[in-house]
Amino acid sequence: MTPITLLIIVLILSSVFYFVGRKRAFAVAGGKGARGLHSLPTYYGALTALWCAIPALLVFCLWQMFETAIVTNLVIRDLPDQIRMLPPERLGLVINDIRNLVSGNIVSGEIDPVMQMAADRYRNVQAISMAALTVIALALAVLAALFVRQKINPGMRARNHVETVVKIILILCSTIAVFTTVGIVLSVLYESIRFFKIIPLTDFLFGLEWSPQMAIRADQVGSSGAFGAIPVFLGTAMISVIALTVAVPIGLMSAIYLSEYAGKKFRDAAKPLMEILAGIPTVVYGFFAALTVAPFIRNSGGMLGMDISSESALAAGLVMGIMIIPFVSSLSDDVINAVPQALRDGAYGLGATRSETIRHVVIPAALPGIVGGILLAASRAIGETMIVVMAAGLSANLTANPLETVTTVTVQIVTLLVGDQEFDSPKTLAAFALGLVLFVITLCLNVIALHVVRKYREQYE
Amino acid sequence: MIKKLIPLTAAVALLASLGSVQAQSSRDYISIVGSSTVYPFATVVAEQFGKSTANKTPKIESTGSGGGFKLFCAGVGVEHPDITNSSRAIKSSEIETCKTNGVAEIVEVKIGYDGIVLANSKKTDVMQLTLKDIFLALAKEVPDPKGGKTLVPNPYKTWKDVNPDLPDRKIEVLGPPPTSGTRDAFVELAMEGGGQMIDSIKAMKKEDEKRFTAVCHTIREDGHYVEAGENDNLIVQKLDANPDAVGIFGFSFLDQNTDKVQGAFVDSVQPTFEGIAEGKYPISRPLFFYVKKAHADVIPGMREYLSEFTSEKAWGPDGYLTDKGMIPMPEKERKKFAENVKNLTPIQ
Amino acid sequence: MSNAVSEASKPEKPLRTLDIVNAGLAKRYRAERRFRRLGLAAIIASLAFLSMLFADIFWKGHTAFRQTFIQLNILFDPELIDAENLAAADYNGFIRKALEREFPEVSGRGDRRELSQIVSPGAAFILQKQLRDNPELIGQTLPLWVPANDDVDMLMKGHIDRYAPEGERRLSDKQLAWLKRLEEQNKIQKKFNKTFFTAGDSREPELAGIWGATVGSLYTLFITLLLSFPIGVATAVYLEEFAPKNRWTDIIEVNINNLAAVPSIVFGLLGLAVFLNFFGMPRSAPTVGGLVLTLMTLPTIIIAGRAALKSVPPSIREAALGIGASKMQMVTHHVLPLAMPGMLTGTIIGMAQALGETAPLLMIGMVAFIVDIPGSFTDPSTVLPVQIYLWADSPERAFVERTSAAIMVLLAFLIAMNAVAVYLRKKFEHRW
Repeated sequence: MTPITLLIIVLILSSVFYFVGRKRAFAVAGGKGARGLHSLPTYYGALTALWCAIPALLVFCLWQMFETAIVTNLVIRDLPDQIRMLPPERLGLVINDIRNLVSGNIVSGEIDPVMQMAADRYRNVQAISMAALTVIALALAVLAALFVRQKINPGMRARNHVETVVKIILILCSTIAVFTTVGIVLSVLYESIRFFKIIPLTDFLFGLEWSPQMAIRADQVGSSGAFGAIPVFLGTAMISVIALTVAVPIGLMSAIYLSEYAGKKFRDAAKPLMEILAGIPTVVYGFFAALTVAPFIRNSGGMLGMDISSESALAAGLVMGIMIIPFVSSLSDDVINAVPQALRDGAYGLGATRSETIRHVVIPAALPGIVGGILLAASRAIGETMIVVMAAGLSANLTANPLETVTTVTVQIVTLLVGDQEFDSPKTLAAFALGLVLFVITLCLNVIALHVVRKYREQYE
Repeated sequence: MIKKLIPLTAAVALLASLGSVQAQSSRDYISIVGSSTVYPFATVVAEQFGKSTANKTPKIESTGSGGGFKLFCAGVGVEHPDITNSSRAIKSSEIETCKTNGVAEIVEVKIGYDGIVLANSKKTDVMQLTLKDIFLALAKEVPDPKGGKTLVPNPYKTWKDVNPDLPDRKIEVLGPPPTSGTRDAFVELAMEGGGQMIDSIKAMKKEDEKRFTAVCHTIREDGHYVEAGENDNLIVQKLDANPDAVGIFGFSFLDQNTDKVQGAFVDSVQPTFEGIAEGKYPISRPLFFYVKKAHADVIPGMREYLSEFTSEKAWGPDGYLTDKGMIPMPEKERKKFAENVKNLTPIQ
Repeated sequence: MSNAVSEASKPEKPLRTLDIVNAGLAKRYRAERRFRRLGLAAIIASLAFLSMLFADIFWKGHTAFRQTFIQLNILFDPELIDAENLAAADYNGFIRKALEREFPEVSGRGDRRELSQIVSPGAAFILQKQLRDNPELIGQTLPLWVPANDDVDMLMKGHIDRYAPEGERRLSDKQLAWLKRLEEQNKIQKKFNKTFFTAGDSREPELAGIWGATVGSLYTLFITLLLSFPIGVATAVYLEEFAPKNRWTDIIEVNINNLAAVPSIVFGLLGLAVFLNFFGMPRSAPTVGGLVLTLMTLPTIIIAGRAALKSVPPSIREAALGIGASKMQMVTHHVLPLAMPGMLTGTIIGMAQALGETAPLLMIGMVAFIVDIPGSFTDPSTVLPVQIYLWADSPERAFVERTSAAIMVLLAFLIAMNAVAVYLRKKFEHRW
């Protein structure tokens, strides 16, 4: 039996016990049907099903976690002494060989009889372990479910129990985000610290020059390497601002038109179409920005007598703005649509025109959602790489002129990580440091945004 | 309630199946990582190997040389790659990392050369450059044009400023970023070569070699050199759209786009297949891959893949790799590396 | 009319409210019209961008759905085939011989090499497969359509200029003459490119297909959707409906907003550290890709979900509680269904983003050359945007149209996905 079949059996059992529990509830209620029970009968069923599934799944997960280690240990114990005494990394290789033998996929040249024996032993132990797990999990499932079924009586607060379980699941889900954050910080922190040991933190944070032209190989003597992050962060800010100046007005006006003015058919067609903009691969936008928009800007600049490089923040920002329109439009459309009609009717009743109603009543009421959409759009703009690489280049300039080339944090992270230089050089480590600092900065901005939204939020009704 | 249980149970089933994933840690295909420059060549061999033998086609990741070595040196075992491609030779520190992680024996295989070309749009005339011109146009610091030994920030704005024989066009070069092996090879071959042509810089090499390499390896950052991404197709198209610009990229892209761009003569040699193969064209760099010896007999198909790669029909002068734009090594070198591969002679 | 009013009203007479209102009406109506036009213009602008991008993609990519084939009379020479070991036969030799029979006048090593170059190097594999499926073909001569080389394909589709000087094209004058003869004999034709929809990746454009990446995307997104939607909805519900308003929930909220701004490649780093190195999951597997993309899309879904929950009017909740529903019942029976359209919007956008993402997959080994079609959630595989990215970076000219064609496949995928969500959204949508 494979683990998956076991799982499926547990789940089937659990759904069977749902009906068992429900039937039992009707039975104990006597003639009064559902009225005689504390909770709806389905809750009794759900409770039984949960009791059936949860302990079995817990055992299953724990088993899966420790099984490999235990089995491996058992196999090692039976290996000949000279193999057992090997240093850990060599022993690891031997174990690997044994596992390969077990799965039978990889055919190495000659099979050592000792290895073959170990592999047989491994297979044996694994089979025993699986059988044990099956018996224990299924027994636990059935026993626990029967136990609850026995306890079902009309006064049992089944709904409360089920709701508690559901609530615990909800809480667990919401902690995933926290764990993700912890994971991200941990996975960049170690390398960042190594980077800051080579390049002082202050140089990184306040340096005005970003030029990672360090030698790639050891036998070369390095050339200049400056890791001042300010130009990179300013470039990010500039491109994001340009993108948002395109996306927010267009997106917000589209959302308003769709939800307030447009006919039902038009809205049904236009909204999903606009959402496609967010899904077009960024390579397409990149080519569009680099080969259509950038030359256009250069040529129109040339006509005005300006010397503009073919790579400019403006080209990248404009095209990125198009890409993030749906983040603003779709989310705003949903929240605007959800503003109660009563508010609008009230405003109309006072003689406001539609646009006045929208500007003074609907938008303030929908503000938290709109801000959420804009924040998401900004986040996407910060995280975008391909468009920037293709249209704005990789040179970090400290400039406020949108017609010059700039680069963004994300672009630098990606190029540094996939570069040809040695992975442990400050160049690659700088990627981690950039990630960490970007993380901290966006965190601060989000804290501020939270307070601002709280302050200006208008609660309707 | 049942409705709500469905997604929940599905998720649980999924999580558990993830748990079971780790149990089956075996692999019946070759896993290759590494440089994006070697990727187009390695994939041809892999495909040929996969389609003409009973083995599965190797999986080739494009991670960059540095990331490739990081993965390659992480240890021995099926979860680690068997081969890493690289557009530069392995560093001693990387060999050290490999050793500490138990990857003691690594076989180095040089597969051929890649020409680095400077090209511009066909809409304008061919450039006749010398290494000295390249150095003067692109270095961050150049000898003072007014004379004297001091170095000044690069004052040249047009190619004509650099060399009166060159056209009067703004210097605008689209090239690889400092993280790229192509850039590394370019500064080493073209910029250093160009520096040697200038007496004051050449003198510096004798006095202060560190300073010399630093000067040669630092490319100007005032907008005349544009760090474009590694997408060479985009560079070709940008050159087509902007006839004033010059691009730096691999020979295979020039080979495929002869109707749009033309390679500049460097020291009066045109970047042609023959010119590079005969070693006349000054800017070409070797490409490598590295094999984990411990995996050679454990992963199915390893030896066959290696012999396919080192066969004449692949990397020979008429082999299919040359169709893709790789420049073959001289016969003697090919023999030497083929022998190394056959015996799996590790680097010391 | 308002002008008449303002002229008629005498300054010394106190204005009535109605007069003031009337006086401003025309201006207000103009503002109203302006506002409305602005909205329409915004939509038209975004749809114009969309259609422009679509047109561009279609224009570049539509030719990829057809592929040039050359008809050759292949003799499966029994003397050269070992019936026991079909794989060992020299199929390239059969093709060379067939070409030589077609063009008997070609001699010399260089010319013969050039001649054999008009046929795809993959043609040999097609013969091999043909023979494996029908071993009785040995000894027969068969007119077979084999794919032409990518350069020939580009020429037939007009992407290479036939009249350019010889040095500027990839085909020599001799090759052009041979092709012309084949054309006159009707032995070279463009046919539907089935390979493109059924094969995995290849370095030969004429053999490259999108199916491998499509399957990889399907597996990856299946896992992403399966995990991110329930978890995202659950988190949004908890934070919005149950969580006590305290510092802890503030932290979670800021945290989630912040995660949305984390560059996607950092999620790749996280996936590398946690799923690959800590849990020891296999590299390049759709499972891991799905997990990483789940973490990446969760913030989008949660934020959209919370906005949707916030917009459900309190009266609904009060009514539910008032008739005796528990808080959980109020949420699951009333609030959640009403908030569903907004949650689905968030999911659509999040999934669209996941479908188009390459950067995080780089770190977990899914940016790779994979020829075999993945058969399970743990087989090495790649996804559509990665395939597009890799093709866009390939030197061969023929990959340009295939890149655009792959983008079309991705968009079709996206539109199909959206259609389902739009249908669901419409089912739930409400206005009160």
